[in-house]
Amino acid sequence: MMQTTAQINNVTYRYKGAAENSLDGVSLTIQKGETILLCGASGSGKTSVIRLLNGLIPHYYHGDMTGDVKVNGHDIANTQLYELAGVVGTVFQNPRSQFFSVDTDGEIVFGPENIGLSPDEIMARKDNISRQMKLDKLLGRSLFELSGGEKQRIACASVAALLPEIILLDEPSSNLDMQAISMLHDIIREWKRQGKTIIISEHRLWYLKDIADRVIFMDKGRKAHEWHAKDFAMLSEEETRQLGLRPTNINEHYLALLSDKDNAENGHTDISDGILLKDFYFSYHHKPYILRRKKFSADDGDDLSLCIPELTIPKGKVTAVIGSNGTGKSTFLRCICGLEKECTGVIVSDGKEYRKRQRIGFSYMVMQDVNHQLFTDSVEKEVLLSMKEKDVKRCHEILDTLSLLGYKDTHPMALSGGQKQRVAIASAIAAGAELLLFDEPTSGLDYAHMEKVGKLLRQLADSGSTVLVSTHDPEFIEQCCDHILQIKNGRVHPCLSAAR
Amino acid sequence: MSLKLDPRTKLYMIFVVSAVVMMSATTPFLWAVRIAMTMIPILLLIIEKHYAAAFRFLIFYGTALLLTFRFLSENSKGFLSAFLVGYCSIIVQFMPAMITAWYVVRTTKIGEFVCAMQKMHIPDGITISLAVVMRFFPTIKEEYTSIRDAMKMRGIMLGGGNAAGIIEYRMIPLLFSCVNIGDELSAAAVTRGLGGKVKRTSVQVLKMSAADYLLMLLFTAALAVFVVSKYII
Amino acid sequence: MNDKKLQAKDFITIGIFTALLFVVEFACGMLGFIHPYIVAAFVVLIPLVGSIPMMLFYTKIEKFGMLSIMSVLLAIIMFVIGMGYLGAPLIIASGVIADLIARSGGYKSFKKTIISYGVFCLWICANYFPVVITADSYRKNLIDGGYSVEYCDNLFRAINSKTIAVLLVLCFVFGCVGALIGKAVVKKHFEKAGIV
Repeated sequence: MMQTTAQINNVTYRYKGAAENSLDGVSLTIQKGETILLCGASGSGKTSVIRLLNGLIPHYYHGDMTGDVKVNGHDIANTQLYELAGVVGTVFQNPRSQFFSVDTDGEIVFGPENIGLSPDEIMARKDNISRQMKLDKLLGRSLFELSGGEKQRIACASVAALLPEIILLDEPSSNLDMQAISMLHDIIREWKRQGKTIIISEHRLWYLKDIADRVIFMDKGRKAHEWHAKDFAMLSEEETRQLGLRPTNINEHYLALLSDKDNAENGHTDISDGILLKDFYFSYHHKPYILRRKKFSADDGDDLSLCIPELTIPKGKVTAVIGSNGTGKSTFLRCICGLEKECTGVIVSDGKEYRKRQRIGFSYMVMQDVNHQLFTDSVEKEVLLSMKEKDVKRCHEILDTLSLLGYKDTHPMALSGGQKQRVAIASAIAAGAELLLFDEPTSGLDYAHMEKVGKLLRQLADSGSTVLVSTHDPEFIEQCCDHILQIKNGRVHPCLSAAR
Repeated sequence: MSLKLDPRTKLYMIFVVSAVVMMSATTPFLWAVRIAMTMIPILLLIIEKHYAAAFRFLIFYGTALLLTFRFLSENSKGFLSAFLVGYCSIIVQFMPAMITAWYVVRTTKIGEFVCAMQKMHIPDGITISLAVVMRFFPTIKEEYTSIRDAMKMRGIMLGGGNAAGIIEYRMIPLLFSCVNIGDELSAAAVTRGLGGKVKRTSVQVLKMSAADYLLMLLFTAALAVFVVSKYII
Repeated sequence: MNDKKLQAKDFITIGIFTALLFVVEFACGMLGFIHPYIVAAFVVLIPLVGSIPMMLFYTKIEKFGMLSIMSVLLAIIMFVIGMGYLGAPLIIASGVIADLIARSGGYKSFKKTIISYGVFCLWICANYFPVVITADSYRKNLIDGGYSVEYCDNLFRAINSKTIAVLLVLCFVFGCVGALIGKAVVKKHFEKAGIV
């Protein structure tokens, strides 16, 4: 006889101030020890289901709710959040924003301290969990120096320290690279082995196929489909695409590539027309100097965080930049667009050389967190800000090609994530940048949005811009990239042409 | 060698030093006490292996001290020396507080500090807020660095032809980011039981050692010397 | 959920905005190293620049305690970074009074918010306390050391026990002006973006 752990009973919910219901008559019964995968497009209600189960709805996010939710015998509506702390644990999407302490130890014990456990008990739990999750190397460190993947492991540990029976994960892999995803996979599998009930909301499906027992597909606030894991695995790529889901199987070729394994086939493709990068040397570790800072050069060898004697980037194409986090992808992009002042290096395009500050004008980066690069109070002003000569007509043309014209008076921050990205692209075009760099533009996107970004990049490339895009999404590379650059330890491995 | 002082001792040190820098030293003996008091945090910094900082403070403080005494005794009147004396006196006056504060901030973990505050019966609300303040300084720095990068790329470091922009373009994205992070942080914190009715506990073990008592004694004595010389004699 | 008491979420919000305000103070403090006169200009700079986060803060919690706790935090931070504790009563008093004023307007009345923020800005003068208190004995030292009275007066012209009253008034005035600017910025950005 299966035991019910959580039950959502015909819940309809609308966030305060929202125009539509986020959940529309959702019912769900969750058995003890089950692992459930929630999938569906952004805004389909996945996150709202998670929030129902951990009580953030209705206690933290206010709105109109009908129906009731029971978790482990608690009626959520009448249970305070802190009473749920030892019952339900939640790992959130963004590794940067979910930790409360500044050091790893403090973060793991944060929950137990809150519920007033005795110090001895807390220390015992901490030791136990750090052994289980192999955290020795992370203990005693500042959270600010950890990578996203490491932060996410600490977040998992912090949740596990409260010993909840139910663990919820809300798009936990969004900001992770392949290696970190496989660590996350192992953590979830271990929880499953311990008999915890696990509910995961996720866009990346491939890494969960051996864990999930049941898959629930959400659409427009409703539970639209439900499969047993076996049946879900049988769905063809065509069928998942129809549902707007990312594929459940990933081409092994890309998996190997993204996992940083050596690939023997360093197939070199001839690039007839390209942008040449010459002498890009850079290191985060300054050499001691007395009067003049010495320039970085190839002789610095292993000290260099980035070492590119010469590299050609195909013009008018989309090139993917891959490699694990911390191997130099971001450094590479930052150096190209001139943000690292001390990076030597010349960009040659059409016989013209761009050095130092000129690199800033030549290239433009759309950052991973695009919120950092939106400054003004309307989309139109945002684009005009990039133009040396304010040309309203040209601005409207640019907005039109990116289908943003209708939003020209809207505040950029009021737009959706994808629209914000397009505003940033519009600014880049307005600034006259030829080389567009994208830092992980698809992390946390559902299939439909990822496809849109892919189409947009193709459109940019076809209209003559050169696009470099760093990504961890094999689906995305397959969809829109012409070439692949692999970065390892700050060294670039030659362009492979993508099997498009 | 490592010397773990109790955060309460450290706070007491700041308290005494902040009081002493408000009183001027008028006799050589008082100067000696004052300088000795400044040497203690420098010494502690060396023990905690912050050599560079200790060295910098020592040089800085020493130079200022030397200049003040030399110039003040020589009846010099030139503009430069006047300017120099002005700076040096301020440094000599307030540097001890700065050094002590720097030592305390650098060598105290936030957890320890929060625990010390709990032991001193400061309400949970204030300790929680304070912990958030400390956690947010590095966050603000990270966010601001990205925003500055974005400004560089746009060439609007100086406001893009709009003086108010210098502040607006930095402040607005920063506020949006911080508010977002704050919302997510709060959600993550309350699901882990923050804000419950039970009194929070702390795994930090705070114990006063002999060194703590000794330092407290020393600083109390120094304070007494200054108070006595100022108000009684 | 019209709970009048501060909740965990509110304490976190207070912490964030305290950190932001302190960063503003710190950035201005850096300018102060260039020339001591800039320190006197704190009374203009900090109320104006700080008004942007503060006006957003006023819309965020709207419960009694938001400003009081913030002032306590500021006092603690000032103490820990070695700025002394003599200013603490002023910081906390201006925080609590500002809180009371804002509460009398239900945290909704903009007029009350202006006055409240003006009063809150008085905390900035706590920065001057150490200088003001030590100034007299310090001045005596300099004169004993052979400096002209004129020079010494010059050195402390902007900040001494007489001008502190003027500085307090300036803080209040620029606080009120700042509130207007800050409110305009909040309207222009945060209300338009729909997050307030």
